[in-house]
Amino acid sequence: MQHTLRIQLSSVDGAVIRALGLIERRGYSLKKCSVSESDGTGRNMEVSVTSTRSGDLLKRQLERLHDVYHVELIPAAIVNPHQPGVRPITRRI
Amino acid sequence: MNASTNIALELRSGSQILIRALERNGVKQIFGYPGGTIMPVYDALVGSGLKHYLCRHEQGAALAADAYGRVTRKAGVCLATSGPGATNLVTGIANAFMDSVPMVVITGQVPTALQGTDAFQEVDIFGITLPIVKHSYSVRDVADIPRIVNEAFAIAEGGRPGPVLIDLPKDISAGMGVVADASPLPRPEIRLPDSRSLQAASEMLANARRPLIIAGGGIAISDSVDDFRRFAARTGIPVTATLKGLGVMSSDDPVFVGLLGMHGNGAANHAVQNCDVLMVVGARFDDRATGQLAQFAPSARIIHLDIDPAEISKLRKADVAIVSELAPALEGIQPEHKARASWCAQCVGWKKEFAWRYDAPGEGIYAPKLLRDLSRARPEGMTITCDVGQHQMWVAQHCKFNDPLEHISSGGLGTMGYGLPAAIGVKIAKPEATVVCVSGDGSIMMNIQELATLKRYAIDVKILLIDNSALGLVRQWQELFFDGNYSEVDLSDNPDFAAVAEAFGIQSRSIDQAEEVTDAIEWLLNTQGAALLHVTIDPMANVWPLVPPGKPNHKMMKSNPAKAR
Repeated sequence: MQHTLRIQLSSVDGAVIRALGLIERRGYSLKKCSVSESDGTGRNMEVSVTSTRSGDLLKRQLERLHDVYHVELIPAAIVNPHQPGVRPITRRI
Repeated sequence: MNASTNIALELRSGSQILIRALERNGVKQIFGYPGGTIMPVYDALVGSGLKHYLCRHEQGAALAADAYGRVTRKAGVCLATSGPGATNLVTGIANAFMDSVPMVVITGQVPTALQGTDAFQEVDIFGITLPIVKHSYSVRDVADIPRIVNEAFAIAEGGRPGPVLIDLPKDISAGMGVVADASPLPRPEIRLPDSRSLQAASEMLANARRPLIIAGGGIAISDSVDDFRRFAARTGIPVTATLKGLGVMSSDDPVFVGLLGMHGNGAANHAVQNCDVLMVVGARFDDRATGQLAQFAPSARIIHLDIDPAEISKLRKADVAIVSELAPALEGIQPEHKARASWCAQCVGWKKEFAWRYDAPGEGIYAPKLLRDLSRARPEGMTITCDVGQHQMWVAQHCKFNDPLEHISSGGLGTMGYGLPAAIGVKIAKPEATVVCVSGDGSIMMNIQELATLKRYAIDVKILLIDNSALGLVRQWQELFFDGNYSEVDLSDNPDFAAVAEAFGIQSRSIDQAEEVTDAIEWLLNTQGAALLHVTIDPMANVWPLVPPGKPNHKMMKSNPAKAR
């Protein structure tokens, strides 16, 4: 099952590698990853992972890291908005 | 301006600032081993208020700091140089991580300008330890030291404790700066339970026909033993314990059914497989406790209490999750009535049915009885540290503990070599305690050099060395699950351990007959100063019962079926 998470984290040494290391070590396969500087507060990271384990568990494991400020688990409907003929449910509202 | 502020505004080295920051965080004793890049810190140690214990291997220092952290609930501190000094700490750091032990680890590092150049004794210890630390720092500026040290202690000791690494390049520890000291940080606010979960748990327990509690290591870590005992007495719910939960209840308490899991008691394993509501308190469904997870407590709904949200539903889905400090959660769970008498009677019945037997035939020494006798010889206030293997399981099964911190065992990592350095850490933290290290002939050799530490500091640790001339637990598995194909488990050419101890200046005695046990235990416990009792047992002795790999907990083996035929 695929999960996408948005992670806000500190820009100190090791923060990104610590988060990525945790993701793989805890049994989630990294499919997509982007990291960008955010406006002065640290870094934003967005990852897509696949695993038999739950996205919520990964979210809670990432939240334990002291370099991680916030983790958001993106619902699947928003994750794949570009599938032909499929409109994300949340946008109908 | 007062005197302390004046001191704070002097020009000082990074090492002096570090030592002061450690002192301000309450550190009095540290364990370590010097070397090139950490020399500025060792220079600043001289004349400071910190007592440094020189272990004879960095692993010994890390494991001693681990045990010190366990029994004080304050971060144990260890110190080593870069490169091999740092890598030798790794096992100790992992041990603390797996068992949620507060620890602050300080490693020297090559100067900043040389980092990344493969300099002499350079190793990326920050990178190496990423998976086994709660957090880590690489210091870049002398001015950051007070903040980093304060954060390290707050993180190590707060919430679910764990090890924190501070990697300190030599140009920072030797560098000078005018840096103000900083007050230690307050610990994070206590996390309280939410009332809806408490209500749900109370109702689930009130409606349960066969409720059971698993008491885990978190109860000792959070200093909630008394709260737990009150809860157990108030609700009457039978209790089983994980390895690290032993001592939470007195072994003699009628509601306590014993250790669960692979080498657990039959009563505990039957209770857990038959319960309909399982309340797990500060435990994490470790595979050695659950056996085959899919068949673990198959008809039970789960109430899971833990301070760490990431433990909830990690391995077994929780029907009610209470993420909170344990004491207020236990206080807030108020089932309307006590556990049913019929179920409690059933548990007591199992306890009688599966009670340990000590009537082994023969004139040799039967290790379970030896350990029971040790426990009986000093019923109040003896701390036992363990190594890893058969003797560790026998200690868990047959020694009695009045408090979980009387049983110091490497649970998650299973570190052979833990026992002796752990005993050193405990005795330094609790000088008034009787500290016995129960070890095996395999394990003791993993950190035998720490006998020199015992001698140097006249640390009064008693060592009970149970010698079966083999790596016994591996040998047992080869006997049972690898058709008796014994591979690299024979240690029959062991050194004369009593002579080894004497060579280190430690008094020793050897026994191999059951009739010698009482007298020898008396000798061990009443000898002034460190002493080693070497006990030879049957090389083919096994730990029973045993839940075979991949089996549910109630499918325990009680003997070798091949021998029974």
